Amino acid sequence: MIELSHIAKIYPSADGEVVALEDISLTIPDGAVFGIIGLSGAGKSTLVRCINLLERPTSGRVLIDGEDLTKVKKKRLLEIRRGIGMIFQSFNLFEQRTVEANVRYPLEIARVPREEAKARIAELLELVGLSDKAKAYPSELSGGQKQRVAIARALALNPKYLLCDEATSALDPNTTTSILQLLKKINEELHVTIVVITHEMRVVESICTDVAVIDKSRIAEQGKVEEVFAFPRSGIAKELIIPNLIRSLQSTGGKKLRLVFNGEEADMPIISALAMECGVAVNILYADTKSMDGKTYGHMVISLPAGEKEETVKRFLTQKNVIFKEEI
Amino acid sequence: MDTLLLSKLFSQLGASGFLEGLGITLYHTVVSAAFAYLLGLPLGILLCVTDKGGIRPIVWLNKIVGFLVNILRSIPFIILMVALIPAARAIVGTSIGDEAMIFMLIVAATPYVARMVESSVKEVDKGVIEAARAMGTGTLGIICKVLIPEAKPSLIVGAVISTVTIIGYSAMAGTIAGGGLGAIAVTQARTSNAQDVIWLCVALIVILVQVIQEGGMYLAKRLDRRICRRHKTRKINEKE
Repeated sequence: MIELSHIAKIYPSADGEVVALEDISLTIPDGAVFGIIGLSGAGKSTLVRCINLLERPTSGRVLIDGEDLTKVKKKRLLEIRRGIGMIFQSFNLFEQRTVEANVRYPLEIARVPREEAKARIAELLELVGLSDKAKAYPSELSGGQKQRVAIARALALNPKYLLCDEATSALDPNTTTSILQLLKKINEELHVTIVVITHEMRVVESICTDVAVIDKSRIAEQGKVEEVFAFPRSGIAKELIIPNLIRSLQSTGGKKLRLVFNGEEADMPIISALAMECGVAVNILYADTKSMDGKTYGHMVISLPAGEKEETVKRFLTQKNVIFKEEI
Repeated sequence: MDTLLLSKLFSQLGASGFLEGLGITLYHTVVSAAFAYLLGLPLGILLCVTDKGGIRPIVWLNKIVGFLVNILRSIPFIILMVALIPAARAIVGTSIGDEAMIFMLIVAATPYVARMVESSVKEVDKGVIEAARAMGTGTLGIICKVLIPEAKPSLIVGAVISTVTIIGYSAMAGTIAGGGLGAIAVTQARTSNAQDVIWLCVALIVILVQVIQEGGMYLAKRLDRRICRRHKTRKINEKE
């Protein structure tokens, strides 16, 4: 378990101090895929670096399985870091090493015997689907392939945790999906706890179990993805999750309902059913839904006819287990 | 250059004289470059590692070493050489001959090499270093397993430039401490104003520099995994 307790990070600068993080407390349970989402400059990259102490927090405690990293000796810190894999937006592969030599690096550092290392490398390249690229150099690979090598390298020492700093931000949408699927597989099959830093909502939607929204160096809100996704409370969360929604709400008058699809009701044609069963014509003001693994995620805002029909509609939605919220 | 001129030249000094000069210049250059790297490589790495944004910032040490390096670098070689005569006597026991000359070349080249190494090592991607730190690499590990291997092509280019500079220095040093192509050219110019001898020395130095420059650059390119492979594949594709 990773526990951050009252983390602050302040950088000295020419004109006073720059506060990068302020009073951040988070608990990342084992087995979770924990998303930390925020706009650029919010402090999320600094935050993830505090977990393995690449950045030393100005104050606060970083507990990894109960051990406070801010208090351990340097040698012990290096050992702990070997149990926390990390991947980056710009991949950060050793350009002068082949793919297999990149994956071998952490094994060399940990002095794993040659034969054992060789078997482990083969296993890891198999896992990320790059067995045929073992002898290639990073400059010969595509972005997605580079990130796969980085993942294999990060997993070489069987870490319990994997930190992903904007790992898909430099990739195209298709490649992003395949990398996210790989991360999900690693979480489910190898039981690695994953921390995902991102500014993209779809990353959180598709693989995270928990999410913390960070804004202006602070945690704006956190919780289970379904909850935060369905009922964002903070302004920043609303903006990240439903960017166009707020505008569409402001532009029209009347009563509106926001329906939340979080993968439960599959492909049921809710709106048609609503129109037919309740006998009301609803106007769709805004819709942003997408399907993943055969489930539908997203939001829809409908305007309601005034009058007694309102209760009928709400009753219908409750009956169908659709999460909804009245928006003004 | 026709054969008549060549034979005239060789009668003055003998072919072996030029070859010997070339050999001495090469010997001075190689030995002092080797020593300059033995000292300059760790110094350059120290300058990079202890710098403010380095992997182990030790600002006071960085400032002191940087200052010393700058002082040695700012003294023109010809003056440094004269200034080093007493030091040469004290350390190698003489102020003339191969030992004295190599000593002076090492003193002049080491700070130069240190700056060359520093700039090469600084080019290594910060992200790659960060990844190595995240994987639990200590300072020494990062130097040996990341900084030097990743900067290798750039270090070779730096070594080529340094070696060429040392050849230049060695020709100059020849005037004081003796030996090598520089000494031959200068002596001949003083005593008999033999233009042809001077130009032959110049030609030999030019060839030597060309060989080192081209050979070194070829090696640097061959060993650089960021570009070399891609060029190779492109060539193969073109053939097809």
